[in-house]
Amino acid sequence: MSAEAWEPKIVAFCCNWCSYGGADSAGMGRFQQPPSTRIIRVMCSGRIDPLHVFNAFLEGADAVLVTGCHIGDCHYVNGNDKTKIKYKFLESVVRELGIEKERLQLNWISASEGEKFASFIRDVTEQIKKLGPSPLKPEGVS
Amino acid sequence: MQKGEMFLGWSTKEDIRKRGGSGGLVTSVLAAALDKKLVDSVVVLKKINDFEAVPVITSDVNEVLNSAGSLHSVPSNFAKLIANKNLKVALPAKGCDVRGIIEQGKRNTIKLDNTFIIGLNCGGSMHPTVTREMLEVMYKIRPEDVHGEEIEKGKLIFETKDGKEHAITIDELEEKGYGRRESCRYCTIKIPNNADLACGNWGVTGELAGKATFVEVNSEKGAELLQNAVDAGYVQIQKPDEKGIAARARIKGAMEGLSRKWKEKVFIPMDNRLEYFRKELENCIDCGACKTVCPTCSCGDVSKCTEFHYRGDAYKMSMYHLVRFLHLADSCIGCGQCTDVCPVDIPLTRLYRRFANPVQEELKYEPGMDLRRPPYFEVKLND
Ligand SMILES: Cc1cc2nc3c(=O)[nH]c(=O)nc-3n(C[C@H](O)[C@H](O)[C@H](O)COP(=O)(O)OP(=O)(O)OC[C@H]3O[C@@H](n4cnc5c(N)ncnc54)[C@H](O)[C@@H]3O)c2cc1C
Ligand code: FES
Repeated sequence: MSAEAWEPKIVAFCCNWCSYGGADSAGMGRFQQPPSTRIIRVMCSGRIDPLHVFNAFLEGADAVLVTGCHIGDCHYVNGNDKTKIKYKFLESVVRELGIEKERLQLNWISASEGEKFASFIRDVTEQIKKLGPSPLKPEGVS
Repeated sequence: MQKGEMFLGWSTKEDIRKRGGSGGLVTSVLAAALDKKLVDSVVVLKKINDFEAVPVITSDVNEVLNSAGSLHSVPSNFAKLIANKNLKVALPAKGCDVRGIIEQGKRNTIKLDNTFIIGLNCGGSMHPTVTREMLEVMYKIRPEDVHGEEIEKGKLIFETKDGKEHAITIDELEEKGYGRRESCRYCTIKIPNNADLACGNWGVTGELAGKATFVEVNSEKGAELLQNAVDAGYVQIQKPDEKGIAARARIKGAMEGLSRKWKEKVFIPMDNRLEYFRKELENCIDCGACKTVCPTCSCGDVSKCTEFHYRGDAYKMSMYHLVRFLHLADSCIGCGQCTDVCPVDIPLTRLYRRFANPVQEELKYEPGMDLRRPPYFEVKLND
Protein backbone atom coordinates (compact mmCIF):
# COMPACT_ATOMS: atom_id res chain seq x y z
CA MET A 1 0.00 0.00 0.00
CA SER A 2 1.48 3.35 -1.01
CA ALA A 3 1.81 6.20 1.46
CA GLU A 4 -0.87 8.29 -0.30
CA ALA A 5 -3.43 5.56 -0.01
CA TRP A 6 -2.96 5.11 3.73
CA GLU A 7 -6.10 6.04 5.64
CA PRO A 8 -5.67 6.56 9.37
CA LYS A 9 -8.00 4.78 11.75
CA ILE A 10 -9.59 7.26 14.11
CA VAL A 11 -11.75 6.27 17.03
CA ALA A 12 -14.28 8.92 18.00
CA PHE A 13 -16.18 8.60 21.26
CA CYS A 14 -19.50 10.45 20.90
CA CYS A 15 -22.17 11.07 23.50
CA ASN A 16 -25.66 9.97 22.59
CA TRP A 17 -27.30 13.37 23.00
CA CYS A 18 -24.95 15.83 21.34
CA SER A 19 -21.87 14.83 19.41
CA TYR A 20 -23.45 11.61 18.10
CA GLY A 21 -26.30 13.80 16.87
CA GLY A 22 -23.65 16.07 15.36
CA ALA A 23 -22.20 13.12 13.44
CA ASP A 24 -25.70 12.29 12.29
CA SER A 25 -26.34 15.82 11.08
CA ALA A 26 -23.03 15.76 9.25
CA GLY A 27 -24.30 12.78 7.29
CA MET A 28 -27.77 14.17 6.74
CA GLY A 29 -26.30 17.49 5.58
CA ARG A 30 -24.02 15.58 3.16
CA PHE A 31 -20.91 17.31 4.42
CA GLN A 32 -17.81 15.72 2.94
CA GLN A 33 -15.69 13.73 5.39
CA PRO A 34 -13.06 11.02 4.97
CA PRO A 35 -13.91 7.41 5.86
CA SER A 36 -11.32 7.37 8.64
CA THR A 37 -13.51 7.44 11.75
CA ARG A 38 -15.01 4.65 13.79
CA ILE A 39 -17.63 6.11 16.08
CA ILE A 40 -18.26 4.60 19.47
CA ARG A 41 -21.48 5.85 20.99
CA VAL A 42 -21.67 6.29 24.75
CA MET A 43 -24.63 7.74 26.62
CA CYS A 44 -22.56 10.61 28.00
CA SER A 45 -18.95 11.75 27.55
CA GLY A 46 -18.61 11.26 31.30
CA ARG A 47 -18.75 7.53 30.62
CA ILE A 48 -15.48 7.63 28.70
CA ASP A 49 -12.88 6.17 30.98
CA PRO A 50 -9.21 6.84 30.24
CA LEU A 51 -9.00 3.08 30.01
CA HIS A 52 -11.19 3.12 26.89
CA VAL A 53 -8.84 5.59 25.28
CA PHE A 54 -5.76 3.55 26.17
CA ASN A 55 -7.45 0.48 24.80
CA ALA A 56 -8.25 2.19 21.50
CA PHE A 57 -4.60 3.18 21.13
CA LEU A 58 -3.32 -0.24 22.09
CA GLU A 59 -5.65 -1.90 19.57
CA GLY A 60 -4.24 0.27 16.81
CA ALA A 61 -6.11 3.57 16.64
CA ASP A 62 -4.02 6.31 15.06
CA ALA A 63 -5.98 8.97 16.93
CA VAL A 64 -8.69 9.04 19.56
CA LEU A 65 -11.31 11.78 19.81
CA VAL A 66 -13.25 12.49 22.97
CA THR A 67 -16.41 14.44 22.22
CA GLY A 68 -19.57 15.45 24.06
CA CYS A 69 -22.10 18.21 24.66
CA HIS A 70 -20.98 21.77 25.19
CA ILE A 71 -20.23 22.57 28.84
CA GLY A 72 -23.55 23.32 30.55
CA ASP A 73 -25.52 21.25 28.01
CA CYS A 74 -24.74 17.76 29.31
CA HIS A 75 -27.95 15.78 29.57
CA TYR A 76 -26.76 14.34 32.85
CA VAL A 77 -26.06 17.79 34.34
CA ASN A 78 -22.29 17.58 34.86
CA GLY A 79 -21.04 14.52 32.98
CA ASN A 80 -18.83 16.59 30.74
CA ASP A 81 -17.32 18.45 33.71
CA LYS A 82 -16.07 15.05 34.79
CA THR A 83 -14.84 14.39 31.28
CA LYS A 84 -12.81 17.57 31.47
CA ILE A 85 -11.11 16.51 34.70
CA LYS A 86 -10.33 13.02 33.43
CA TYR A 87 -9.16 14.36 30.09
CA LYS A 88 -6.64 16.68 31.74
CA PHE A 89 -4.89 13.73 33.36
CA LEU A 90 -5.22 11.53 30.33
CA GLU A 91 -3.72 14.22 28.13
CA SER A 92 -0.70 14.67 30.34
CA VAL A 93 -0.05 10.93 30.54
CA VAL A 94 -0.36 10.53 26.78
CA ARG A 95 1.94 13.49 26.22
CA GLU A 96 4.58 12.25 28.70
CA LEU A 97 4.41 8.84 27.10
CA GLY A 98 5.68 10.48 23.95
CA ILE A 99 2.53 10.27 21.81
CA GLU A 100 2.03 13.33 19.56
CA LYS A 101 -0.61 15.66 20.93
CA GLU A 102 -2.66 15.57 17.69
CA ARG A 103 -3.48 11.94 18.37
CA LEU A 104 -5.72 12.74 21.30
CA GLN A 105 -8.25 15.55 21.00
CA LEU A 106 -11.23 16.85 22.90
CA ASN A 107 -14.12 18.71 21.31
CA TRP A 108 -17.61 19.77 22.33
CA ILE A 109 -20.09 19.40 19.45
CA SER A 110 -23.86 19.87 19.64
CA ALA A 111 -26.43 17.81 17.72
CA SER A 112 -26.98 20.62 15.23
CA GLU A 113 -23.30 21.21 14.48
CA GLY A 114 -22.98 18.73 11.60
CA GLU A 115 -20.63 21.01 9.71
CA LYS A 116 -18.39 21.39 12.78
CA PHE A 117 -18.24 17.61 13.22
CA ALA A 118 -17.32 17.02 9.58
CA SER A 119 -14.65 19.68 9.50
CA PHE A 120 -13.19 18.38 12.81
CA ILE A 121 -12.86 14.93 11.27
CA ARG A 122 -11.34 16.38 8.10
CA ASP A 123 -8.77 18.37 10.11
CA VAL A 124 -7.78 15.50 12.36
CA THR A 125 -7.47 13.10 9.41
CA GLU A 126 -5.19 15.59 7.64
CA GLN A 127 -3.00 16.00 10.74
CA ILE A 128 -2.73 12.26 11.29
CA LYS A 129 -1.94 11.56 7.66
CA LYS A 130 1.06 13.83 8.06
CA LEU A 131 2.16 12.05 11.25
CA GLY A 132 1.73 8.53 9.92
CA PRO A 133 0.67 5.46 11.87
CA SER A 134 0.61 5.56 15.67
CA PRO A 135 3.72 4.25 17.42
CA LEU A 136 1.44 2.21 19.69
CA LYS A 137 -0.09 0.26 16.82
CA PRO A 138 0.47 -3.47 17.35
CA GLU A 139 2.56 -5.43 14.85
CA GLY A 140 0.54 -6.62 11.90
CA VAL A 141 -2.33 -4.16 12.30
CA SER A 142 -2.77 -1.68 9.48
CA MET B 1 2.61 22.83 75.06
CA GLN B 2 1.20 23.70 71.70
CA LYS B 3 1.56 23.43 67.95
CA GLY B 4 4.71 25.07 66.58
CA GLU B 5 6.81 24.70 69.74
CA MET B 6 10.23 23.06 69.64
CA PHE B 7 12.10 21.12 72.30
CA LEU B 8 15.20 19.10 72.96
CA GLY B 9 14.33 15.86 74.69
CA TRP B 10 15.70 12.54 75.76
CA SER B 11 14.68 9.34 77.42
CA THR B 12 14.85 9.24 81.22
CA LYS B 13 15.97 5.63 80.93
CA GLU B 14 19.73 5.71 80.56
CA ASP B 15 19.90 2.50 78.54
CA ILE B 16 17.36 3.70 75.97
CA ARG B 17 19.00 7.06 75.69
CA LYS B 18 22.21 5.27 74.81
CA ARG B 19 20.68 2.87 72.30
CA GLY B 20 18.42 5.46 70.67
CA GLY B 21 19.20 7.13 67.36
CA SER B 22 19.81 10.42 69.13
CA GLY B 23 18.21 10.63 72.58
CA GLY B 24 15.82 7.70 72.61
CA LEU B 25 12.95 10.18 72.72
CA VAL B 26 10.93 8.53 69.96
CA THR B 27 11.04 5.12 71.60
CA SER B 28 10.05 6.60 74.94
CA VAL B 29 7.17 8.63 73.53
CA LEU B 30 5.85 5.49 71.81
CA ALA B 31 6.21 3.42 74.97
CA ALA B 32 4.51 6.08 77.08
CA ALA B 33 1.60 6.30 74.65
CA LEU B 34 1.07 2.56 74.93
CA ASP B 35 1.64 2.48 78.69
CA LYS B 36 -0.86 5.28 79.41
CA LYS B 37 -3.42 3.82 76.96
CA LEU B 38 -3.33 6.76 74.58
CA VAL B 39 -3.15 4.04 71.91
CA ASP B 40 -3.76 0.29 71.79
CA SER B 41 -0.82 -0.58 69.58
CA VAL B 42 2.50 0.69 68.29
CA VAL B 43 4.46 -0.08 65.13
CA VAL B 44 8.19 -0.66 65.54
CA LEU B 45 10.98 -2.36 63.69
CA LYS B 46 12.13 -5.72 64.95
CA LYS B 47 15.79 -6.01 64.18
CA ILE B 48 17.23 -9.03 62.39
CA ASN B 49 20.71 -7.58 62.03
CA ASP B 50 22.18 -4.13 61.44
CA PHE B 51 20.68 -3.73 58.03
CA GLU B 52 17.58 -5.87 58.07
CA ALA B 53 14.42 -5.62 60.16
CA VAL B 54 10.72 -6.41 59.96
CA PRO B 55 7.95 -4.08 61.09
CA VAL B 56 5.65 -5.39 63.83
CA ILE B 57 2.43 -4.09 65.33
CA THR B 58 2.74 -4.65 69.04
CA SER B 59 1.01 -3.92 72.34
CA ASP B 60 4.01 -4.94 74.39
CA VAL B 61 5.84 -2.01 76.01
CA ASN B 62 9.07 -4.01 76.25
CA GLU B 63 9.08 -4.76 72.56
CA VAL B 64 8.74 -1.03 71.92
CA LEU B 65 11.61 -0.22 74.28
CA ASN B 66 13.76 -2.82 72.51
CA SER B 67 13.35 -1.06 69.18
CA ALA B 68 15.41 2.05 70.03
CA GLY B 69 17.88 3.07 67.33
CA SER B 70 17.79 4.12 63.68
CA LEU B 71 18.17 1.59 60.92
CA HIS B 72 19.26 3.42 57.80
CA SER B 73 19.04 0.45 55.49
CA VAL B 74 15.49 -0.56 56.26
CA PRO B 75 13.38 1.36 53.73
CA SER B 76 10.08 0.24 55.16
CA ASN B 77 6.81 2.02 54.59
CA PHE B 78 4.24 1.57 57.33
CA ALA B 79 1.15 2.97 55.59
CA LYS B 80 -0.04 -0.27 53.99
CA LEU B 81 0.82 -2.18 57.17
CA ILE B 82 -1.74 -0.32 59.28
CA ALA B 83 -4.37 0.19 56.55
CA ASN B 84 -7.76 -1.54 56.85
CA LYS B 85 -7.02 -2.63 60.40
CA ASN B 86 -8.92 0.07 62.28
CA LEU B 87 -6.17 0.53 64.85
CA LYS B 88 -5.65 3.14 67.52
CA VAL B 89 -1.97 3.33 66.89
CA ALA B 90 1.22 5.34 67.34
CA LEU B 91 4.15 4.86 65.02
CA PRO B 92 7.51 6.29 63.94
CA ALA B 93 7.52 7.48 60.34
CA LYS B 94 9.96 8.88 57.81
CA GLY B 95 8.62 11.59 55.51
CA CYS B 96 7.38 9.08 52.94
CA ASP B 97 5.71 6.93 55.63
CA VAL B 98 3.83 10.00 56.80
CA ARG B 99 2.76 10.85 53.27
CA GLY B 100 1.58 7.30 52.65
CA ILE B 101 -0.44 7.31 55.86
CA ILE B 102 -2.10 10.61 55.00
CA GLU B 103 -2.95 9.39 51.49
CA GLN B 104 -4.48 6.21 52.93
CA GLY B 105 -6.41 8.45 55.33
CA LYS B 106 -7.93 10.31 52.38
CA ARG B 107 -8.99 6.97 50.94
CA ASN B 108 -10.70 5.98 54.20
CA THR B 109 -8.52 2.97 54.96
CA ILE B 110 -6.85 4.62 57.95
CA LYS B 111 -8.59 6.80 60.54
CA LEU B 112 -6.17 9.69 60.94
CA ASP B 113 -7.83 10.79 64.20
CA ASN B 114 -6.75 7.50 65.74
CA THR B 115 -3.25 7.56 64.28
CA PHE B 116 -0.42 9.29 66.13
CA ILE B 117 2.46 9.85 63.75
CA ILE B 118 5.94 10.53 65.13
CA GLY B 119 7.85 11.84 62.15
CA LEU B 120 11.59 11.18 61.79
CA ASN B 121 13.78 13.63 59.92
CA CYS B 122 15.21 11.68 57.05
CA GLY B 123 18.16 12.36 54.80
CA GLY B 124 17.54 9.07 53.04
CA SER B 125 17.61 5.34 53.49
CA MET B 126 19.43 2.49 51.75
CA HIS B 127 18.34 -0.76 50.19
CA PRO B 128 19.48 -3.74 52.31
CA THR B 129 20.69 -5.77 49.32
CA VAL B 130 22.67 -2.84 47.96
CA THR B 131 24.08 -2.29 51.45
CA ARG B 132 25.35 -5.86 51.60
CA GLU B 133 27.10 -5.48 48.26
CA MET B 134 28.45 -2.08 49.24
CA LEU B 135 29.97 -3.49 52.42
CA GLU B 136 31.86 -6.09 50.43
CA VAL B 137 32.89 -3.95 47.46
CA MET B 138 33.49 -0.53 48.98
CA TYR B 139 34.25 -1.18 52.64
CA LYS B 140 35.85 -4.58 52.10
CA ILE B 141 34.17 -5.97 55.19
CA ARG B 142 31.93 -8.98 55.55
CA PRO B 143 28.30 -8.01 56.21
CA GLU B 144 28.23 -10.54 59.07
CA ASP B 145 30.98 -8.65 60.88
CA VAL B 146 29.03 -5.38 61.09
CA HIS B 147 28.18 -4.38 64.60
CA GLY B 148 26.82 -0.88 64.25
CA GLU B 149 26.27 1.91 61.76
CA GLU B 150 25.92 5.66 61.88
CA ILE B 151 25.96 8.76 59.72
CA GLU B 152 28.19 11.62 60.75
CA LYS B 153 29.28 14.71 58.86
CA GLY B 154 28.36 13.32 55.46
CA LYS B 155 30.09 10.02 56.12
CA LEU B 156 28.55 6.60 56.45
CA ILE B 157 30.38 4.77 59.18
CA PHE B 158 30.24 1.04 59.87
CA GLU B 159 31.64 -0.41 63.04
CA THR B 160 32.85 -4.00 62.94
CA LYS B 161 32.79 -6.51 65.76
CA ASP B 162 36.51 -5.99 66.38
CA GLY B 163 35.75 -2.39 67.38
CA LYS B 164 37.18 -0.76 64.24
CA GLU B 165 35.36 2.03 62.40
CA HIS B 166 35.15 2.19 58.61
CA ALA B 167 34.09 5.50 57.08
CA ILE B 168 33.40 6.58 53.48
CA THR B 169 31.67 9.77 52.37
CA ILE B 170 28.14 9.36 51.08
CA ASP B 171 29.04 11.37 47.96
CA GLU B 172 31.72 8.88 47.06
CA LEU B 173 29.39 5.94 47.67
CA GLU B 174 26.69 7.44 45.48
CA GLU B 175 29.13 8.20 42.72
CA LYS B 176 29.83 4.47 42.60
CA GLY B 177 26.14 3.59 42.53
CA TYR B 178 25.76 2.75 46.21
CA GLY B 179 24.49 4.82 49.11
CA ARG B 180 20.97 6.12 49.36
CA ARG B 181 18.10 4.85 47.22
CA GLU B 182 17.56 7.02 44.19
CA SER B 183 14.17 8.30 45.34
CA CYS B 184 15.73 9.50 48.62
CA ARG B 185 18.33 11.49 46.74
CA TYR B 186 15.72 13.70 45.12
CA CYS B 187 13.21 13.67 48.00
CA THR B 188 12.64 17.18 49.35
CA ILE B 189 10.79 16.25 52.55
CA LYS B 190 13.64 16.23 55.03
CA ILE B 191 11.72 17.36 58.12
CA PRO B 192 8.24 15.79 58.26
CA ASN B 193 6.08 18.72 59.31
CA ASN B 194 3.08 16.75 58.05
CA ALA B 195 3.43 14.35 61.01
CA ASP B 196 2.22 15.06 64.56
CA LEU B 197 5.80 15.40 65.82
CA ALA B 198 8.99 15.87 63.81
CA CYS B 199 12.07 14.33 65.49
CA GLY B 200 15.70 14.28 64.50
CA ASN B 201 19.22 15.09 65.52
CA TRP B 202 19.64 18.24 63.43
CA GLY B 203 19.77 21.23 65.74
CA VAL B 204 21.22 19.40 68.74
CA THR B 205 24.51 21.17 69.43
CA GLY B 206 27.21 21.36 72.07
CA GLU B 207 27.25 18.94 74.96
CA LEU B 208 23.93 17.40 74.09
CA ALA B 209 24.95 16.41 70.55
CA GLY B 210 24.21 12.73 70.09
CA LYS B 211 22.44 12.59 73.44
CA ALA B 212 19.21 14.42 72.68
CA THR B 213 16.48 14.50 70.07
CA PHE B 214 15.24 17.73 68.53
CA VAL B 215 11.47 17.62 68.40
CA GLU B 216 9.01 19.98 66.78
CA VAL B 217 5.32 19.83 67.69
CA ASN B 218 3.24 19.98 64.50
CA SER B 219 -0.27 19.36 65.78
CA GLU B 220 -2.45 19.12 68.86
CA LYS B 221 -2.17 15.36 68.69
CA GLY B 222 1.60 15.80 68.73
CA ALA B 223 1.42 18.00 71.83
CA GLU B 224 -0.75 15.38 73.53
CA LEU B 225 1.78 12.65 72.72
CA LEU B 226 4.79 14.53 74.01
CA GLN B 227 3.01 15.90 77.10
CA ASN B 228 1.86 12.38 77.91
CA ALA B 229 5.44 11.09 77.77
CA VAL B 230 6.68 13.93 79.99
CA ASP B 231 3.87 13.45 82.52
CA ALA B 232 4.46 9.70 82.61
CA GLY B 233 8.13 10.31 83.41
CA TYR B 234 9.41 8.70 80.21
CA VAL B 235 11.11 11.75 78.74
CA GLN B 236 12.70 14.97 79.86
CA ILE B 237 12.57 18.09 77.71
CA GLN B 238 14.04 21.55 77.60
CA LYS B 239 13.93 24.52 75.22
CA PRO B 240 16.48 24.51 72.39
CA ASP B 241 18.74 27.54 71.93
CA GLU B 242 18.51 29.87 68.94
CA LYS B 243 21.76 28.52 67.55
CA GLY B 244 20.34 25.01 67.37
CA ILE B 245 17.12 26.13 65.74
CA ALA B 246 19.07 28.07 63.11
CA ALA B 247 21.45 25.16 62.48
CA ARG B 248 18.52 22.81 61.91
CA ALA B 249 16.92 25.18 59.42
CA ARG B 250 20.24 25.65 57.63
CA ILE B 251 20.88 21.93 57.22
CA LYS B 252 17.31 21.40 56.03
CA GLY B 253 17.74 24.11 53.38
CA ALA B 254 21.06 22.69 52.22
CA MET B 255 19.66 19.16 51.97
CA GLU B 256 16.64 20.33 49.99
CA GLY B 257 18.94 22.17 47.61
CA LEU B 258 20.96 19.02 47.00
CA SER B 259 17.74 17.10 46.37
CA ARG B 260 16.63 19.58 43.74
CA LYS B 261 19.98 19.15 41.99
CA TRP B 262 19.56 15.38 42.01
CA LYS B 263 16.08 15.77 40.60
CA GLU B 264 17.41 17.71 37.64
CA LYS B 265 20.08 15.11 37.09
CA VAL B 266 17.70 12.15 37.18
CA PHE B 267 14.89 13.65 35.12
CA ILE B 268 16.70 15.07 32.13
CA PRO B 269 14.26 15.88 29.32
CA MET B 270 14.33 13.33 26.54
CA ASP B 271 12.98 12.52 23.11
CA ASN B 272 11.78 9.10 22.16
CA ARG B 273 10.04 8.62 25.47
CA LEU B 274 7.78 5.82 24.27
CA GLU B 275 10.81 3.75 23.31
CA TYR B 276 12.37 4.52 26.69
CA PHE B 277 9.31 3.35 28.64
CA ARG B 278 8.91 0.25 26.50
CA LYS B 279 12.55 -0.66 26.95
CA GLU B 280 12.42 -0.19 30.73
CA LEU B 281 9.24 -2.24 31.04
CA GLU B 282 10.16 -5.01 28.66
CA ASN B 283 11.22 -7.41 31.42
CA CYS B 284 8.06 -6.98 33.47
CA ILE B 285 6.76 -10.36 34.62
CA ASP B 286 3.35 -9.06 35.77
CA CYS B 287 3.88 -9.99 39.39
CA GLY B 288 1.99 -6.96 40.66
CA ALA B 289 4.37 -6.34 43.56
CA CYS B 290 4.71 -2.64 42.72
CA LYS B 291 0.99 -2.16 43.27
CA THR B 292 0.86 -4.34 46.36
CA VAL B 293 3.44 -2.23 48.19
CA CYS B 294 2.30 1.15 46.83
CA PRO B 295 1.38 3.20 49.91
CA THR B 296 -1.03 5.42 48.01
CA CYS B 297 -3.01 2.61 46.36
CA SER B 298 -6.08 1.46 48.26
CA CYS B 299 -7.79 -0.60 45.57
CA GLY B 300 -7.26 -4.07 46.99
CA ASP B 301 -7.07 -7.15 44.81
CA VAL B 302 -9.72 -6.16 42.28
CA SER B 303 -8.64 -2.99 40.58
CA LYS B 304 -8.69 -1.29 37.24
CA CYS B 305 -5.00 -1.79 36.55
CA THR B 306 -5.15 -5.54 37.04
CA GLU B 307 -8.65 -6.43 35.80
CA PHE B 308 -8.20 -4.96 32.33
CA HIS B 309 -4.79 -6.37 31.73
CA TYR B 310 -4.27 -9.79 30.19
CA ARG B 311 -0.97 -11.60 29.98
CA GLY B 312 -1.75 -12.74 26.43
CA ASP B 313 -2.02 -9.17 25.09
CA ALA B 314 0.26 -8.34 22.19
CA TYR B 315 0.08 -4.64 23.02
CA LYS B 316 3.06 -2.34 22.80
CA MET B 317 2.51 -1.14 26.36
CA SER B 318 0.82 -3.04 29.14
CA MET B 319 -2.56 -1.75 30.24
CA TYR B 320 -1.48 -2.38 33.83
CA HIS B 321 1.32 0.16 33.61
CA LEU B 322 -0.73 2.68 31.64
CA VAL B 323 -3.43 2.72 34.32
CA ARG B 324 -0.84 2.96 37.08
CA PHE B 325 0.87 5.86 35.29
CA LEU B 326 -2.45 7.65 35.17
CA HIS B 327 -3.50 6.93 38.74
CA LEU B 328 -0.15 7.88 40.17
CA ALA B 329 0.15 11.10 38.19
CA ASP B 330 -1.46 13.03 41.02
CA SER B 331 -0.84 10.57 43.86
CA CYS B 332 2.75 9.30 43.62
CA ILE B 333 4.70 10.33 46.72
CA GLY B 334 8.02 9.11 45.34
CA CYS B 335 8.73 6.74 48.23
CA GLY B 336 10.64 4.24 46.09
CA GLN B 337 8.86 1.15 47.41
CA CYS B 338 7.98 -0.09 43.89
CA THR B 339 11.58 0.06 42.73
CA ASP B 340 12.72 -1.69 45.91
CA VAL B 341 10.47 -4.70 45.42
CA CYS B 342 10.66 -5.16 41.66
CA PRO B 343 12.10 -8.64 41.05
CA VAL B 344 13.42 -7.68 37.62
CA ASP B 345 14.88 -4.33 38.71
CA ILE B 346 12.67 -1.97 36.72
CA PRO B 347 13.28 1.58 38.05
CA LEU B 348 9.54 2.06 38.53
CA THR B 349 9.65 5.11 40.79
CA ARG B 350 11.67 6.92 38.16
CA LEU B 351 9.06 6.04 35.55
CA TYR B 352 6.11 7.08 37.72
CA ARG B 353 7.80 10.36 38.63
CA ARG B 354 8.14 11.18 34.93
CA PHE B 355 4.35 11.39 34.85
CA ALA B 356 3.84 12.75 38.35
CA ASN B 357 6.36 15.61 38.29
CA PRO B 358 4.65 17.74 35.61
CA VAL B 359 1.13 17.09 36.90
CA GLN B 360 1.92 17.79 40.54
CA GLU B 361 3.91 20.90 39.66
CA GLU B 362 1.16 22.25 37.45
CA LEU B 363 -1.59 21.57 39.97
CA LYS B 364 0.61 22.69 42.89
CA TYR B 365 -0.45 19.54 44.64
CA GLU B 366 1.89 17.60 46.90
CA PRO B 367 0.25 14.33 47.88
CA GLY B 368 0.55 13.34 51.51
CA MET B 369 1.54 16.80 52.72
CA ASP B 370 -1.93 17.95 53.74
CA LEU B 371 -5.53 16.78 53.61
CA ARG B 372 -6.38 18.21 50.20
CA ARG B 373 -8.27 15.76 48.02
CA PRO B 374 -6.30 14.29 45.11
CA PRO B 375 -7.26 16.44 42.10
CA TYR B 376 -8.43 13.38 40.17
CA PHE B 377 -11.04 12.79 42.90
CA GLU B 378 -12.75 15.96 41.71
CA VAL B 379 -14.61 13.73 39.25
CA LYS B 380 -16.73 12.99 42.30
CA LEU B 381 -18.29 16.43 42.10
CA ASN B 382 -20.05 17.68 45.18
CA ASP B 383 -23.47 18.48 43.69
C1 LIG C 1 16.45 6.18 57.47
C2 LIG C 1 16.60 7.29 58.47
C3 LIG C 1 17.30 8.45 58.12
C4 LIG C 1 17.42 9.50 59.03
N1 LIG C 1 18.08 10.63 58.64
C5 LIG C 1 18.14 11.67 59.51
C6 LIG C 1 18.78 12.87 59.14
O1 LIG C 1 19.32 12.98 58.05
N2 LIG C 1 18.77 13.91 60.02
C7 LIG C 1 18.17 13.83 61.24
O2 LIG C 1 18.16 14.80 62.00
N3 LIG C 1 17.58 12.69 61.62
C8 LIG C 1 17.56 11.63 60.79
N4 LIG C 1 16.93 10.47 61.18
C9 LIG C 1 16.30 10.42 62.49
C10 LIG C 1 17.29 10.05 63.59
O3 LIG C 1 18.15 9.03 63.16
C11 LIG C 1 16.55 9.54 64.82
O4 LIG C 1 15.64 8.51 64.44
C12 LIG C 1 15.76 10.63 65.47
O5 LIG C 1 16.64 11.64 65.86
C13 LIG C 1 15.02 10.13 66.67
O6 LIG C 1 15.96 9.68 67.60
P1 LIG C 1 15.51 8.95 68.91
O7 LIG C 1 16.72 8.53 69.65
O8 LIG C 1 14.53 9.80 69.62
O9 LIG C 1 14.76 7.68 68.30
P2 LIG C 1 14.74 6.22 68.86
O10 LIG C 1 14.31 6.27 70.29
O11 LIG C 1 15.99 5.56 68.51
O12 LIG C 1 13.51 5.58 68.07
C14 LIG C 1 13.60 5.33 66.70
C15 LIG C 1 12.32 4.69 66.25
O13 LIG C 1 12.34 4.66 64.84
C16 LIG C 1 12.09 3.37 64.36
N5 LIG C 1 12.92 3.20 63.17
C17 LIG C 1 14.22 2.91 63.09
N6 LIG C 1 14.61 2.79 61.83
C18 LIG C 1 13.52 3.04 61.06
C19 LIG C 1 13.30 3.06 59.67
N7 LIG C 1 14.26 2.80 58.79
N8 LIG C 1 12.05 3.34 59.23
C20 LIG C 1 11.05 3.58 60.10
N9 LIG C 1 11.22 3.57 61.44
C21 LIG C 1 12.44 3.29 61.91
C22 LIG C 1 12.44 2.43 65.48
O14 LIG C 1 11.61 1.30 65.42
C23 LIG C 1 12.15 3.27 66.72
O15 LIG C 1 10.82 3.10 67.11
C24 LIG C 1 16.83 9.39 60.31
C25 LIG C 1 16.14 8.22 60.65
C26 LIG C 1 16.02 7.18 59.77
C27 LIG C 1 15.27 5.92 60.18
S1 FES D 1 -24.76 13.82 27.64
FE1 FES D 1 -23.39 14.70 26.23
S2 FES D 1 -21.73 15.04 27.52
FE2 FES D 1 -23.09 14.25 28.96
